[in-house]
Amino acid sequence: MSGGHTTMRCGEFRTSYRADTTIFPTPMSRRVALGAVVLAASFPLWLNAYYLNLLIQIGYYGIAALGLNILVGFTGQISLGHAAFFGFGAFCSAWLNNRFGLPVVLAVPLAGLLTTAVGMFVGIPAGRLKGLYLAIATLASQFILEDFFARAEWFTGGSAGALAQPFTLFGFAFNNDQRFFYVVLVAVIVMYLAGANLLRSRDGRAYVAVRDHYLSAEIMGINLTKYRILAFGSASFYAGVGGALYGHYLGFVSAEGFTILLSIQFLGMIIIGGLGSVMGSLLGTAFMVLLPEVMEASAQGLGGVIPGLKDSVAYLKQMAIGLAIILFLIFEPQGLAHRWKLTKAYWKLYPFSY
Amino acid sequence: MHKHAVLHPLALALLAAAAAPALADDIVVGHLAAYTGPTSDVGRPYGQGVADALNYLNQKGGINGRRIAFQTVDYGYNAPQAIATYKKWMSADAKPVAVQGWGTADTEALAQFAATDKVFFMSASYSGHLTDPQGKSQYVKAPAPYNFFYGPSYTDGCRGVVQWAAEDWKRKGGKGAPKFVHMGDNHPYPNAPKEGCAAYAKELGFEVLNPIVYSLKPGDFKAQCLSLKESGAHYAYLANTSGSNISLLQSCRTVGVDTQFLSNVWGWDEYAEAAAAGAGRSIVWVVGAAGWKDDVPGMAVVREVSKVSDAAGSEVRPLHYMRAVCGVFLMRDAMLAADRMAGGITGTNIKAAMEQFRDHRPEELGDVCLKSTWTAEDHRGTNQVLVYQSTDKGFEKIYTATLERRPDWLGW
Repeated sequence: MSGGHTTMRCGEFRTSYRADTTIFPTPMSRRVALGAVVLAASFPLWLNAYYLNLLIQIGYYGIAALGLNILVGFTGQISLGHAAFFGFGAFCSAWLNNRFGLPVVLAVPLAGLLTTAVGMFVGIPAGRLKGLYLAIATLASQFILEDFFARAEWFTGGSAGALAQPFTLFGFAFNNDQRFFYVVLVAVIVMYLAGANLLRSRDGRAYVAVRDHYLSAEIMGINLTKYRILAFGSASFYAGVGGALYGHYLGFVSAEGFTILLSIQFLGMIIIGGLGSVMGSLLGTAFMVLLPEVMEASAQGLGGVIPGLKDSVAYLKQMAIGLAIILFLIFEPQGLAHRWKLTKAYWKLYPFSY
Repeated sequence: MHKHAVLHPLALALLAAAAAPALADDIVVGHLAAYTGPTSDVGRPYGQGVADALNYLNQKGGINGRRIAFQTVDYGYNAPQAIATYKKWMSADAKPVAVQGWGTADTEALAQFAATDKVFFMSASYSGHLTDPQGKSQYVKAPAPYNFFYGPSYTDGCRGVVQWAAEDWKRKGGKGAPKFVHMGDNHPYPNAPKEGCAAYAKELGFEVLNPIVYSLKPGDFKAQCLSLKESGAHYAYLANTSGSNISLLQSCRTVGVDTQFLSNVWGWDEYAEAAAAGAGRSIVWVVGAAGWKDDVPGMAVVREVSKVSDAAGSEVRPLHYMRAVCGVFLMRDAMLAADRMAGGITGTNIKAAMEQFRDHRPEELGDVCLKSTWTAEDHRGTNQVLVYQSTDKGFEKIYTATLERRPDWLGW
């Protein structure tokens, strides 16, 4: 609240197209975002490994979730195979590093690009299919890739999985939570800025046009097939980078980690976070990662009061995720991002909100 | 300050979930168990055995008066989950010196982590790949210096039952080469003995058929049984755990397969026998320790251990429980020996102590456990394979295979 007359404005006035499409709508939001990054950068100094681990999870899943949101929330397509692309990125990066000795720092983006190629190939049916039919087509890619992971010894190590080396830069290994947190933080910032930027570009607007009314979009001269496939490519790039970070963080990649369940969880993340919201992708991911932990902590806490609760933690976690999705669909279909907007609006007008 | 007050109890609760509240003097041990997931059928009794044995040892004064602080984590047979749990343990202030692990996928993946962190790792995976501490074998990707398990390796177990099958074929007066087939999921655990055992079967004159895949998760396996019937296999080795095997045997009974089934150490037990309602009659498999009803010296102690979680003493523990107890008591013996070494109870010393055991078995367990020998070059604890068969009169020991310690079998 320091900025003098900038906070005294009685509304948001934009006088140029440029101003209308900035990433941060107000100077305040830019300062808050910068402050959040500085705050996040200080986490490893005072948070223990347990919390850092959760934040790292939010980071790499969040990157992949943003990819799915570009596909589902912005372009209006559907994918039930996002986990397979996440896995492909993880295996690919480990493979590039183990097989060709490519440094991890290069293997990660390259894995993203190769995943993009696979995603665009798999997205080809999207040029022809819509709705449930597309969902089933992507489901097929989930199963095909999963089976490929379990059998392609040369690429994934087969059912035994592959080891992934830690992320290193100039001989410095980011091999613990404190260090790897910075890798993920940088990746999240870069990928989220790129994502927000993409949506301000011609291609990004084309995505939204395809979502809002494909017929109008086509009449306006948007090549539907091209943009649908491109959307699959963008989504896969994010999934690939997220997966690669996951692989190098865990140090081990196994086909078991990338089942249909994870694909559904990705969908859950963006539904809870808010379809068509960059910010919402991160909020939804945070919610999905933290929910099971909070469930476990409360089950441990209540374990003494309600006998048998501790033993059912494994089931409770899964059920809680399902329940959360249902509740959000009913009560907050626009997700956490919408709730966040309402909260902001409430405080902006406080105490005279209507 | 308010924020701090809110955060504090939450942080404590989360920490409690993250690590057992270990005291400075405690010996920290991690316990990975599969109480859920596709191997929970055998994971439950084994995990219970590990937990009971550790609690029992603590009741008896721990390791020279020091308590074993262990935390059991159910990882649902999901290897990435096991790795994440291990990393969580290793980032805590009180790092474990030893781990009691479970599955093959996760143990093989963790072998390199354990070697780097110098953590003694005792698994319920008996994969042959874990027996080569120096990485000399051409069949292992990396050495597994800190890995140990109690019992014959999966491949040796399979070799044992194949040896029995060869004699059985002769005894029955079979003509020509008997046909042998490996059946199991495409997963590191069923895959572990696949090639090594097939090679030995060939040596013994079997014709080895193409493996048949059936899921670790129980299901309707009639298609697989029809393939088996069509293949004309005389002996089929079931490499999955008992839950999956029960459904396979029932499907095969429906289809009318008359193949002699063989299985590994996790492939059959008392629960499976009861659940299969006769479909498993005549199955031949590997047993690694005494059974609950066996009246051998040392079983009294196992029954005491069992009372930790079953005060009434009414529970009948399946075969896996005894192997779990043997494994924990062996680790205890190694810890006691490590305590006499310079540096005390560290992962490296426990490993060194294990490698000094010659024909060793925990004393108070008498004849319950097999004698085990580990050396710095060879982590094949035992080369004795007890072969049992399910008969109308119950489980009967029908054969004991004593395999050579062939150097070309190390790590295979």
